[in-house]
Amino acid sequence: MSLKFLVVDDSVTMRRIVVNSLHNLGYEDIVEAGDGREALIKLSADDTINFVITDWNMPVLSGLELIKAIRSDDKTASMPVLMVTTRGVKEDIIEALKARVNNYVVKPFTPQILREKIDQILATVAS
Amino acid sequence: MKQAINMSHLFEKLKDLKALFVYGEKLIPIIQSLVDFMKDTVPLLENINHSIADSTSKIPKASHQLNNVTSATELATTEILDLVDAVTKEVRGVEKSLKAFINSEEEKAKLFESLSPYIQGNPEALKIYEEIKLKVTAPQEINPLYESFTKIKDYAYNITLSLQVQDITAQQLAAVNHLIESVQDRLSGLISDLEINEVREFGNLSMPVPEGVTFDPNARYDKSDQNQQNVDEIIKAQSETTTQDEIDKLFS
Repeated sequence: MSLKFLVVDDSVTMRRIVVNSLHNLGYEDIVEAGDGREALIKLSADDTINFVITDWNMPVLSGLELIKAIRSDDKTASMPVLMVTTRGVKEDIIEALKARVNNYVVKPFTPQILREKIDQILATVAS
Repeated sequence: MKQAINMSHLFEKLKDLKALFVYGEKLIPIIQSLVDFMKDTVPLLENINHSIADSTSKIPKASHQLNNVTSATELATTEILDLVDAVTKEVRGVEKSLKAFINSEEEKAKLFESLSPYIQGNPEALKIYEEIKLKVTAPQEINPLYESFTKIKDYAYNITLSLQVQDITAQQLAAVNHLIESVQDRLSGLISDLEINEVREFGNLSMPVPEGVTFDPNARYDKSDQNQQNVDEIIKAQSETTTQDEIDKLFS
């Protein structure tokens, strides 16, 4: 399956780091968004996007609200979503899981962790 | 008789007056020390008022400077990322050329080896063959160079990863700004209660916090694996709980 990633983060630096990491992992098809609302616009405009990597703390629409919006739309309900965030407290992780995030990475991340989580999600989706 | 009563009354009043003077004499040092205390305290209170006013007026500037630090570090980080990307691009180019060169040299070596049977018995040709053989670059001589460039590319990528610190410190600074904003609100309330006119001279005290700034107050740059391990354990525990819940639902 060819993957097209949507990387959502309000920090330009973080977006570039995630995109560079994806390039290093061999993924080339990547689009970006600066907040949850922009991400939803891109998702509705491009149905070839099939993997979302999102931050939590963002203006306009947070990562958590983005996941809820993705899950509530029939077209994107089964979209694989990986959260990459600084928020590492138990309550936050449980809240994200309740919103049905597929996996969770805390910043600062390593490329190994990113690869591992993407692979785990893809394996779950495939099964 | 009436005169005698009046005199007695007058003496009583004089007695009272004397008592009052005696009491007054005792009271005067206390009043004096009170006045002295007030003399000392009033400038101190004025000083406190001025300090509050001064601090309050400086808070927006401090907050503005913190925002500037965030913007400057983001700009600097972008510049570093641009340079790292440029280095990586160059290194990839060199890597590609080196790989092509290694492949070409390997092919040359193979072709050269195939020439060997045809020149056996010809000492002159063999001599030239041996000389040329020494000049053909062996892949094992270039491979370390190729590996060095791969390492440079990895180091450059590690610089990129370390720049995650910018996002994390930006969130920490935003948290500090939020804290400053709370202090500013409290001080503004205090000033309003004390009616410090002086503060109004400082003009607009509104905070220059950019709109839509979101942050994690607990953000920290910790490169240990512990944080991710904690997250993984929580996810594992939650998924096990969920699975059990689902099983329970099925059998209920």
